[in-house]
Amino acid sequence: MKQRQSSIASVAAIAAATIIFSLLMIALSGSGLTAALKGFARGAFGSSYSIAEVLVKAVPLTLCALSVACGFYSGFTNIGAEGQFYIGAVATTCIGMYLPFLPGPLLILLSLILGFAAGGIWAAVPGWLKARFGISEVINTLMFNYIAIGIVGILLQTVLKDPKAFFPVSSYMPEGMWLPRIIPGTRLHAGLVIALLSAAFIYIFIWRTWPGFRIRAVGSNSRACRCAGIGVGSSIMLSSLLSGGFAGIAGSVEIMGLQHRLLDGMSPGYGYLAIVASLLGGSNPFGIIAASIGIAAIQVGAQGMQRSAGVPTAISNIILGGVVLLILLRPMIMKAIGGKAHD
Amino acid sequence: MTDTLSLIASFASSALRQAAPLSLAGLGVAYAEKAGILNIGEEGIMLGGAFAGFITAYFTGSLALGILGGAAGGIVISMIHAFLSIKAKANQTISGLALNFFTLGLTSFLFLLAFGQGSSLPSIANLKPVAIPILSSIPFIGEVLFRQNVLVYVLYIAIAAFSVFFYRTEWGISLTAVGENPQAADSAGINVYRTRYLACLVNGIFGGLGGCFITLGQLGYFQEDIVSGKGYIALVAVILGRHNPILIFLSAAMIGLAESLQFSMQAMGVQLPSQAFSMLPYVVAVIVLLFSIGRSTTPAAVGIPYERDKR
Repeated sequence: MKQRQSSIASVAAIAAATIIFSLLMIALSGSGLTAALKGFARGAFGSSYSIAEVLVKAVPLTLCALSVACGFYSGFTNIGAEGQFYIGAVATTCIGMYLPFLPGPLLILLSLILGFAAGGIWAAVPGWLKARFGISEVINTLMFNYIAIGIVGILLQTVLKDPKAFFPVSSYMPEGMWLPRIIPGTRLHAGLVIALLSAAFIYIFIWRTWPGFRIRAVGSNSRACRCAGIGVGSSIMLSSLLSGGFAGIAGSVEIMGLQHRLLDGMSPGYGYLAIVASLLGGSNPFGIIAASIGIAAIQVGAQGMQRSAGVPTAISNIILGGVVLLILLRPMIMKAIGGKAHD
Repeated sequence: MTDTLSLIASFASSALRQAAPLSLAGLGVAYAEKAGILNIGEEGIMLGGAFAGFITAYFTGSLALGILGGAAGGIVISMIHAFLSIKAKANQTISGLALNFFTLGLTSFLFLLAFGQGSSLPSIANLKPVAIPILSSIPFIGEVLFRQNVLVYVLYIAIAAFSVFFYRTEWGISLTAVGENPQAADSAGINVYRTRYLACLVNGIFGGLGGCFITLGQLGYFQEDIVSGKGYIALVAVILGRHNPILIFLSAAMIGLAESLQFSMQAMGVQLPSQAFSMLPYVVAVIVLLFSIGRSTTPAAVGIPYERDKR
């Protein structure tokens, strides 16, 4: 009971520290506090348009964070969602460019499947290297990000380049492939539904199926699994495949729902931000949805704050990084509050 | 003939300047990893150094103080990581990533506070190359190696010092022991925590120097995300260099050479996507990791918090 109290208290302490720290930063920037907060609220929740903008950002973030979580369940630390996102986007672009004659719904379905497969394979390579040879996936997935971004750059200057465009971008996808808009007059697209369905799928798969159970078992104690005859390697492979798959879907959805073509620097670091979102969401699919919306709101709100009160948008990175640092300190905070820490 | 030679010399000299920040940071990373500290946050450390170095040099007008400021900036960020990974026993990958976000935001925020959103970037005079007497008059080699700025000479000294330190001193052996098997090192009377804190301090200094090399030695100005991934490339250089100071320098030099080659090929109008070069180091790093199976140079306890009372 006492442990539970100190656990809640530590969360409250972290939240309070974050809020006080953020207010302090705003005050430090010399902007009026009320103007800044008003700008934040209006920017993030002021109108249906701003709410839609938050959700537009939350869609790829949720999918990437689900990706990070899928790896986390088996102990596969996936730093590579950024690269898997791009590979998924490339797969979708290829489908749109080479099969434009297919009917729209079929194109969308095919894109999601191939986006999943492409991202999944991109992550399964480091997964296989970890499962088979014990090579650290942290560095490998990170390297694969840069390789993926390099591949996108090369493709955009060669085979996928729109010959009419000056900048390295692909041509637009056939319109039948564009995901429908959910709220008219905004950019919010049906990718939101895909993200929610993905969260539900992962929840069921990880907590209600035998392979999901094995993945979690490997994540909590791989040595015990080896002794009990659970295939550790195959579980890590499956988890990395799923992990990359959902990041691939994120890239696919971003093309079909928002950008409608492939371009350099399409992701403003969703893959890295996703690690923060997954951590804040406690690696729980539904927690991740909430965390992703929260992070997107902070980012969109920070833009509003800059417009109305001149607070630099850099503040959102400080807040997000700071929250994670505080969360890492949580065991120590709990110890300080509750007297005794649990191990 | 002499023309071609001087062209090659200036090319090599520019490659060396590209490689220097990577090598400086790489030496720090190698030191930290030898003690068992994984630092994905090298990018943040370099950014802290780049920012603090520039700000100090700008407001004091002294590049020497700027260099000290750069090292101090690196130390601050690195010690946060040290506290989290040693004392709080946090996940070091997450801590490093969080520090990257935090530093990225903090440096841009403070920079805007100090200078406002002006149309022109505040700038300072770069570190000037210093010719070393006698050595610099050696043809070719002198021009490439001994007409550089002071931080490059710091790098030379550091490479030599680290090479001796890692492999020829008892201290270096204890450092390796702490990274490979902290329990055994502890039983042998080595203070694991102190060794790791010290390693983070060294990593902070060299990461900070690598960062301020970018602002003070190359560009003379600061802007948001100015390190732009060089911290991650420094990690690559350490993998390619297999934690050996001289090999780290050579790997960084190869990466620097690829970068310079890419610039001059673009200048010559060669139609080749620049990414073909820029992604090469990462591809090679993956291959090196693959071929190091079974004889990895990565210390066994990298990234694992040490808890005295646990087996």
